[in-house]
Amino acid sequence: MFTVLLIVHGLCAVALLGAITHQALAVWWPARAAGGFVTRFRGVPGAGYTNAIIVLFVLTFLLGAVIYPPYRLVVRTYLENARLWTANGSFELKEQFAAIGLGMLPFYWFVWRQPLDEALAFSRRATAAILCFIVWFGFLVGHVLNNIRGLFGQ
Amino acid sequence: MSFTRVLPLFSAAFALIYVLAEQANIALVTYHPRINDWDAWTQPARSGPAMYWFGWIGTAFLGATLASVASLPFSSRMKGVAWIGWVVPLLVILAFFYLMRGFFLR
Repeated sequence: MFTVLLIVHGLCAVALLGAITHQALAVWWPARAAGGFVTRFRGVPGAGYTNAIIVLFVLTFLLGAVIYPPYRLVVRTYLENARLWTANGSFELKEQFAAIGLGMLPFYWFVWRQPLDEALAFSRRATAAILCFIVWFGFLVGHVLNNIRGLFGQ
Repeated sequence: MSFTRVLPLFSAAFALIYVLAEQANIALVTYHPRINDWDAWTQPARSGPAMYWFGWIGTAFLGATLASVASLPFSSRMKGVAWIGWVVPLLVILAFFYLMRGFFLR
C-alpha cells in the first residue's frame, strides 16, 4: 500500500515540478517571440497555473505526510546505521522546506490571484522562485533517497 | 479590515514560528509510528522513535492563525509590507541550511 502511495506521491511531484517550473520561467524569463522548445516552455501565462500548483502542492504534501512514518521507521533507521549523514540531512532539509512551502501557499495565492496587482509583481516572481526551489529540492532528494532505499524493503 | 491582506503576515509568521518550534521542539502533537499512537504536545518517545514534524506544523499553523486574526484590525496598513510573505520564509530556508549543517560536515 505504501509503495503505491509513494509512486502516486512521485507522480504528483512530477506534475507539480512541471507546473511550477513553467510558471517560474514564464515570470522570470518571459518569451518575447515565438521560438523553440525552451521559448515555448516559458511562453505560457504563468497565472493560469496558480490553482493547479496549490492543489498539487497540498496533494503531494499530504501523500508525503502519509508515507513519512514508514520512512521514519525503515529508511531513516537504515540511513543512520549506514552513516549516510548527507542523505539523512538532505531529507531533514526537505521536510523543513516542504512545511515552509505549505505555509507560503496563502501568500502565494494572494500575490497570484486575478486580476494581477502590479504592485506585487516582484513578490510574484519571488514566491514562484522560492516554491520552485522547494519543489525541485524535494523532488531530487526524494528521488535519490528512493534509489538508496525505497519502501519495498520494509 | 480585510482577510486577504493579512495573508503575507500569516506566511511570515508560519515560517518564523515553524523554525522556532523545530529548534525548541514545541509540537502541538507527537506521533509514535511504531505503535501508531498520538499524544498531545511534545512527548518523549514511548516505543520506537517519536515524530514531531506534524506537531511543529500544527504549532506554526495555530500561531500564524492567531497572529493573523490579531492583526486583522490593522489590515489596511499591511499592503506596503506584503514582501514579508516571501522574505521571512526565504530567511528561514537559509537559516535551516545553517542549522542543519552538522549533517553535511561530519
